[in-house]
Amino acid sequence: MTRARRWGLALAAAIVALTPLLAQAQSVPPQQPAHPGALALRRANYAWEREGAEGAAADPGRDLLRVSFAYRDVLADPALVKKLSSGLPMVIALRAYVYRDGEVAPVALATRVCRVVYDLWDDVYRVRLSEPERERDQASVLEGVLRLCTEARDLPVVRRGLLAAGQPYFLAAVVEVNPASPEMVEQLRHWLSRPTGSTGIGPTDALFGTFVQLFARQMASSDSTLTFRTQEVVP
Amino acid sequence: MPAVARAQAARTWGAPTEAPPSAPSASSPPPEPPPVTLGTPTPGSTAAPHEPATTRAVPAEEGPGGAAPSGTGVGPTPGTHALKYTLEGVEVRGNKSTRARVVLRYVPLHAGDVLDVNDPELELTRYRLLGTGFFRDVQLSLRRGTQRGYAVLVVDVVERNTLIVDGVWLGLSEDVGSNGAARPLTAYGGAAVTETNLAGTGIALGGAFAVADQQLALRVRLADPQFLRTSWLADTELLYNSARDFFGNGDVVVAESAQDFAVAQYQRLGGRVGLGHDLGVSSQVFFDYRLEGINASFPAAASDHYGLDVEPINFMLLPGTSFLSTLRTTLVHDTRDQPFLPTTGHYASAMIEAALTPLGSDYPYAKLVLHGSQWFSLPWGHVLHLEGFAGGVFGSAPLFERFYVGDFSDLLPDRVLDLNFDRRAAPNLLSTDIVEVRYGNYAAKVDAEYRVPVYRGTRSIYGVDVFASFGLYGVCNQEELVDRPRGYKGLATLPVDLTFNAGLRIDTQAGSFVLGVANFIGFVPFRGPQEGAARP
Repeated sequence: MTRARRWGLALAAAIVALTPLLAQAQSVPPQQPAHPGALALRRANYAWEREGAEGAAADPGRDLLRVSFAYRDVLADPALVKKLSSGLPMVIALRAYVYRDGEVAPVALATRVCRVVYDLWDDVYRVRLSEPERERDQASVLEGVLRLCTEARDLPVVRRGLLAAGQPYFLAAVVEVNPASPEMVEQLRHWLSRPTGSTGIGPTDALFGTFVQLFARQMASSDSTLTFRTQEVVP
Repeated sequence: MPAVARAQAARTWGAPTEAPPSAPSASSPPPEPPPVTLGTPTPGSTAAPHEPATTRAVPAEEGPGGAAPSGTGVGPTPGTHALKYTLEGVEVRGNKSTRARVVLRYVPLHAGDVLDVNDPELELTRYRLLGTGFFRDVQLSLRRGTQRGYAVLVVDVVERNTLIVDGVWLGLSEDVGSNGAARPLTAYGGAAVTETNLAGTGIALGGAFAVADQQLALRVRLADPQFLRTSWLADTELLYNSARDFFGNGDVVVAESAQDFAVAQYQRLGGRVGLGHDLGVSSQVFFDYRLEGINASFPAAASDHYGLDVEPINFMLLPGTSFLSTLRTTLVHDTRDQPFLPTTGHYASAMIEAALTPLGSDYPYAKLVLHGSQWFSLPWGHVLHLEGFAGGVFGSAPLFERFYVGDFSDLLPDRVLDLNFDRRAAPNLLSTDIVEVRYGNYAAKVDAEYRVPVYRGTRSIYGVDVFASFGLYGVCNQEELVDRPRGYKGLATLPVDLTFNAGLRIDTQAGSFVLGVANFIGFVPFRGPQEGAARP
């Protein structure tokens, strides 16, 4: 056997042996569930808000579902909390998609964007909170920032008329800290300009997509991402 | 002005001084939902039992002490988020081997500038620094300056391994012995390594080698991304090749005796100097001048079948010593989201090269190459890559400047550092006259690749994708276009062939690697006719 041939056989054996080793060396990637119902469950408080004056005849379809839940653990990394004091803007964006139980296409979307800048000289955090009904600026201490930016309180979600009566629905939420895509933040702001409760998703909406698109693709594109689902609510 | 004076020095400090505020533990359970506090609850509503939480937030206009927003050093700041400061200086932290002045090259702000916290330039600065490849992480922050309204921009960097493996080549080929006889499997290999941040100066120093039986290639490259502190990139490379190449399809005649292949041997020694400049965020232009000496030896007379005819072999080199001198311009437009496992964006390049015959080049030719790639992120998370290539060589270029079928077919080894390791003809899966072509003056290829991400990480391995690709390519000379080889008819006169590959693309901290199966499949005897029309 010539020297060149011996080298050839040795290289071939090395490459064949190396390939499965490389494959085994990978840890199993963190997989997102294949459907929204399989997301980690988190408790939320629901409330149906009746439109119009109390006692007046009201259209039940106009009832507005409001939800309250917390997602402070999106800032579980102490470095992120510290980053709030960086003096540069930080964004915490929430998207809460309404899913009918057993389906994979969302029917509505509620969003919430919190923007924080630490004011170096006034030693205060300046917070701009954008929600469907309002946009407000506040100055706060750190604990207040955490409450404002990581607790959705009575967030208007969807009107009852957009949901099928008697069918269970739940929210699947994506919370991102400093989303890498400024376009996505702009889309959220645009979405917030809709009238309260008109959160139904159409096939051409920019924030619409399959579950995988919405919950898996952008996982690595922000400083921190948190996904979860809430318990069911029946309209 | 003290701020200006302080900013002249690039200061580096140690670790951050402040302890981070307490934060929720990663292992703690999810927080309880806040109670419902608004609306008129109707049946179906649920609420947590605890007391409504209170928020200590206060309106901006009621801030502590009624202080105005802190842009006092600059002027009125409408809105709570229009914070502006006067920049007092820039601190660089965390750099151990990279010099602070290298980091500061990428920071467009200077002491005395008005710093708007909303300025997108700040985020761009971060991306610019990450784009150098010197750092694993870059964070920008502000801290108070020495007087109200002043701020210091702090650049915290975490350095990464800057010794990058640009390429590792290991493979098997079929070559030719010294006597021109075909040989079965032989091995080839090589590697390219670059220190992208030499001694913390930002200068890249790289070296590469490739080796096979009786062949050796060496490269040394030095690149300064900010030449003389200008916005020009300077690049220089030295090369040495001791190479062989193989001609014929198994029955050549050399000096009136029959043998399997004719062998040309040549050495190259020379170098290249170049300058590059950004034309925008995504575009660059490069100018290169190359000068090298070539010393070639090959049979004085050799012939091979070309279709049904016998024609002399063109070794595409000048015998003895010759010189090559060229000037090259390359335009690149690159919007890929990442260099090795892109998911969106495109990459387009156009290169034109002209041999400077009046300045000593013995090879009069011009070369034009166009290349375009587009990546599509599919809704289900996979990636589609479409690629097109077209090139032409006009004139008498040396063989290593012409288009080689192995560079287009995945079933043959690519050239590595211009070394050609394999004597085999194109696989000829379509039974065309591509089998008559080894080097061509014209080439084109269209290719599609489908990638499935299987792993994404942030430590030593950044990503692993499974891929499969399929393409169609053609390589030809003027002869195949105007004087087609006899013995081929119809579509068989089109010198085109198929190519395909599958395997893994791996992006790691040490570099990027492709493990493909095509090289091995290329040895499976399922090819089309290999010996041309004259040898059915």
